[in-house]
Amino acid sequence: MTLTAPSGAAGPGAAAASAGRGRKKRLIRPARTGGSQQRLGPVYLAITPFFALFGVFVLVPVVFSIWLSFQKYSVLGGIGGSEFVGLRNFEFLVQDATFRRAIVNSLLIWVLGTFPMLAMALVVAAMINSVTKLKSFYRLAYFLPNVTSIVAVTLFFGALFSEQFGLINQALEGLGLSGVPWLTDPWAMKVVVATLITWQWCGYNAILYLAGMQAIPGEVYEAAALDGAGPVRQFWSITLPLLRPVVLFTTVISTITTLQTFTEPQVLFGSNTAVNPNSGGPGQGALTMVLYFYQQAFNNNDYGYGAAIAMGVFAVVLVFVVINFRLARTGDDR
Amino acid sequence: MSLSRRSFLLTAGLLGAAGSSVLTACGSGGTGGAGDGTELAFWYWAGAISDTVVEDVAAATSGATITPSVIGGDFKQKLTTTLSAGQSVPDITGVKGEDIASFLTQADAFLDLNELGAKDIASTFSAAKYAAATTKEGKQIGLPIDLGPTATYYREDSFAAAGLPTDPAAAGEAVATWDGWFDAARKVKAATGAASVRNSTDIFAVALAQQPSTFVDADGTWAGESDAVKKSWDLAVQSHTDGVSGAVFDGTGYNQALAAGTIVGHVGPAWFGLDIASGAPDTSGKWRVTQCPDGPANIGGSFLTLTTTCRNPQVAFEYIKTLLSAENAAKSFTDASVFPATLAAYDLPALTAGQEFYGGQATIEVFGPAAQALPTVYDDPNNAAIAAPYYTELSNVEGGKDATAAWNDAVSAAKQIAQRAGVQ
Repeated sequence: MTLTAPSGAAGPGAAAASAGRGRKKRLIRPARTGGSQQRLGPVYLAITPFFALFGVFVLVPVVFSIWLSFQKYSVLGGIGGSEFVGLRNFEFLVQDATFRRAIVNSLLIWVLGTFPMLAMALVVAAMINSVTKLKSFYRLAYFLPNVTSIVAVTLFFGALFSEQFGLINQALEGLGLSGVPWLTDPWAMKVVVATLITWQWCGYNAILYLAGMQAIPGEVYEAAALDGAGPVRQFWSITLPLLRPVVLFTTVISTITTLQTFTEPQVLFGSNTAVNPNSGGPGQGALTMVLYFYQQAFNNNDYGYGAAIAMGVFAVVLVFVVINFRLARTGDDR
Repeated sequence: MSLSRRSFLLTAGLLGAAGSSVLTACGSGGTGGAGDGTELAFWYWAGAISDTVVEDVAAATSGATITPSVIGGDFKQKLTTTLSAGQSVPDITGVKGEDIASFLTQADAFLDLNELGAKDIASTFSAAKYAAATTKEGKQIGLPIDLGPTATYYREDSFAAAGLPTDPAAAGEAVATWDGWFDAARKVKAATGAASVRNSTDIFAVALAQQPSTFVDADGTWAGESDAVKKSWDLAVQSHTDGVSGAVFDGTGYNQALAAGTIVGHVGPAWFGLDIASGAPDTSGKWRVTQCPDGPANIGGSFLTLTTTCRNPQVAFEYIKTLLSAENAAKSFTDASVFPATLAAYDLPALTAGQEFYGGQATIEVFGPAAQALPTVYDDPNNAAIAAPYYTELSNVEGGKDATAAWNDAVSAAKQIAQRAGVQ
């Protein structure tokens, strides 16, 4: 739980915070020239709710989970009943083959669920940008999946991909192909999860791309058209380069989101047995990092180790965000 | 991600404010501790016990108003959270069989039922199940609701096709040992092509339940590579190599296999019969039960407990005692297929009647003696967590992984979990 809150807010949060700082400066300077410090009161008052909520819902949980990761936490003993164990949880973490499997699963789901999705989003955005009628309708239609309950959608997808009665396998069999064991084969399971991610986030990213495209001045296209560039050439030579900041933003955000995939595998493969809950389905094929964290913390009540896993997830996500950032930056400098 | 940070925090803030006011409201009503309180909250989960019995007995109880609530979702998680928060703790609560061992380590959160008179009624319950809620110091934290004595399920027509005796008594002799069961299952496979168990982990679970202790010894030492565990593992792997396991791990697939007749048997607890009956109602009348290979064991079965903050222990204890009387236990069996831990219930008509799904067989003739003969086992609080890798690796074996490699992987993963939990 502490996971989603800070990193969920990290991307847009960073942007909002820097924007906030800029705004604050502009407000403060006229106040100073006016010579009255008292005018600052309402300003601080106005920003207090944000920082108070940030403290309670983000800062405290983050600090608490860092503290937890160095403890053997007693569930009923509470904070007083837990025991400091130093780096022991982290020693276990680096030796934990299950966590390594969870990292690999998450990375595969990230690759399967992010890059095709972003490419599709770009195409969708270009198409919406070029329609003249019903633009708002298409925008809404593509955005709708993003505001639909993930659990409901996952249950629906679970039925679609069901092995014996699912629509997809029936269609495959209707075409003379053999059905795929979508929910039991470790690879097919990842494809199902990635499909769900694609379905949910494609429209959201398309809207971001669309906003970026609409910010590109029409004159650039007119000039290119005069020089004889067709729509495809315009897309590659104008739209894509000018969209680079948006592409960077969406890639970073999608990486953060996808590497923390939890709901989809939890609902699809969560509790098929009482003895081994949330183990990520057959062969642990859909055991993502956050699902493993959830299993250790909330099924086994090993909160200390759970917190250590959360730190591990943070480190992995950070590494990949930095890589993404570097890659996109290099492109910018060229 | 679709929310802006500001609107997210605003919503979170509003929800948080609403949530904390609700918590305080419940908290003031939830904890009293006086001893003669007039209100009692009772938590159980759907199917734990008959809802009608719960309501009727609550209405007939004088001295306090009992408010039963069916708690959905992960029951253990919710109970643990409530107990650790110390707010809105129920006065009376159910505890699932697989969770009782871990709650025994937190026995301070529960009342000693012996002080309320549990000692006098101890002999009315299955001794092995009653002992599962007793701490090392002799504190009794719960009364058993139900049991899962294990048995062999088979289809009469499949046994007939394989040339095996179809009468439960004679069939029981054929499957009296694991060797006998495998022999019968291979014959069924040869004659009909069908499997005799859902998947290999079912065999593993039953074989483990037959051992006096499993992954951790009673003195708290690691035993994940012991003969007891290895023997159970080998039996489970054999069900795969002999081709008698259905290798089905999902619910829909299982129901389909039962209906199609590609799985025609099972080895498992009494309550599993309901899964078969609801999964494949069309096979009604064809099924039979007989004894479990190598003797009965117990899988599952829940408890009723009183928390330390219980506002009126006397009335609460009388209430759970009445819920578990032979008559009420028999009603729970009829209403919710809860196989009673109260031994006297086995003589009541609700249980002695022949059952249509089993072709008129009175299954109590198998489950009754099994329930009386359950071995007393040591269930370590860490067993559930340590067992997980073995189950995972067995499913990998059924997916084609080499059994030796799977065993080694299971042991090393389990050893690490054990170390983390402080098992030496």
